[in-house]
Amino acid sequence: MDFPALGLTLRLASVTTLVLLVVATPLAAWISSGRGWGRRVMQAVVALPLVLPPSVLGFYLLLGLSPRTAIGRMLIAVVGHSLAFTFWGLVVGSVIFSLPFAVQPLVAGFSGVDRGLVETASVLGAGWWVVFARVIAPLARMSFVTAAVLTFAHTVGEFGVVLMVGGDIPGVTRTLSISIFDQVQEANYAGANRAAIWLVLLSFMALLAVYARGRGQGLGVRD
Amino acid sequence: MELVPHHRLQVVADVGALRMDVALAFAAPWTVIFGPSGSGKSSLLRAMCGLLPGAQVSFERRDADEWTAVEELRTAQRKLGYAPQQAALFPHLNVRKNVGFATAQRPKGRAAWKRAEAVVEGALELFALGDLEDRMPRELSGGESQRVNLARAFVVPGARLMLLDEPFSGVDRKQRDAMLPKMKSWLAELDLPVISVTHDVDEALLLGAEVVRLELGQVVAQGPAAEVLAEERVRMLANLG
Repeated sequence: MDFPALGLTLRLASVTTLVLLVVATPLAAWISSGRGWGRRVMQAVVALPLVLPPSVLGFYLLLGLSPRTAIGRMLIAVVGHSLAFTFWGLVVGSVIFSLPFAVQPLVAGFSGVDRGLVETASVLGAGWWVVFARVIAPLARMSFVTAAVLTFAHTVGEFGVVLMVGGDIPGVTRTLSISIFDQVQEANYAGANRAAIWLVLLSFMALLAVYARGRGQGLGVRD
Repeated sequence: MELVPHHRLQVVADVGALRMDVALAFAAPWTVIFGPSGSGKSSLLRAMCGLLPGAQVSFERRDADEWTAVEELRTAQRKLGYAPQQAALFPHLNVRKNVGFATAQRPKGRAAWKRAEAVVEGALELFALGDLEDRMPRELSGGESQRVNLARAFVVPGARLMLLDEPFSGVDRKQRDAMLPKMKSWLAELDLPVISVTHDVDEALLLGAEVVRLELGQVVAQGPAAEVLAEERVRMLANLG
């Protein structure tokens, strides 16, 4: 069993989930707070990873992080190296790749809060932030759980982006899904099976957590 | 003596199939907007709150001798106490927290917090909610929810106008009659004018020093309750005859 790969996978999924909750919450709050072209364009951009092949996303990320681009040069100046083929490069790739899995449940949750409550709160003097913190977020709390679990589970199962951005460096960027691929290539089916069972278990536990918290509402985002 | 208006309102809007075109000045401490269902009463209140999209609204408040254009302010900055028609209680907050929603937003120091608590306490007592303060909205009856809705509007700090949409729907008459004098003295103490909405002739007579009668989005009469509603009574009798 490739335990370093399992550890790396869990660490990557945890960090990605935390980063994405921080990034996706304001983004989802903005998207759900009105209409207009800006919001539609943002929704389409956020949903892109759902339809793009992971290799395309990974390819552009690899190009974007290279020393030929301004971002790549800035990263080298700040952290001393490009993020490609490092753990933090994987985090960047995973955050972008899992963005819709965090943003979409939150948008659905925030939009599902009764407009009457939001309006009443604002007439009673609550500004945008207070309405969000005291009315929308608590009423949409299940959608945070859904977003976190889906992001975690999706990151655990990532393959294409991780392979493109991270390569396959044991202990550094070789996650469990890549480890399975490697073992199958080496005809080590027993090893691949042991790793695959871990992925099945992790995914099942994540989904069970959502269904258990949702009291039978499944992936529904309303509380 | 002619009273000086505390608020002036002009609304031109299409609300569904209704063409609303209203110009009003509110001078009485308590004005009742009276009219049948679908006459646009609630839409007028929503226009004052800034919640009527697409409407042309001019809404002014008299501050000393100056008129402030309230319609230019964001909804949260309009200094309104508001009890919507549907109680719209926050389902995740208990009765006390619902009532104190507006006071809990900017606690500035211990003294201010204590003052806010005292106001909430007073509102709980006024609306006979003391025994219910730990209950959640789902555990309340319709009448109880409506009392929480009213109490929540009464504690908005620095409110300049109270907007009550069908304030006594679901509240039994005995309770309404017991609450009303206390509500009036609370409001008089704060010098806080009220605009309420009703379709109930009795309620309008009971409450209104001034009644605005609304029909199909137009003001058809405005004046003292006895006068405006006397015409209404005559018309009802004529219809019966």
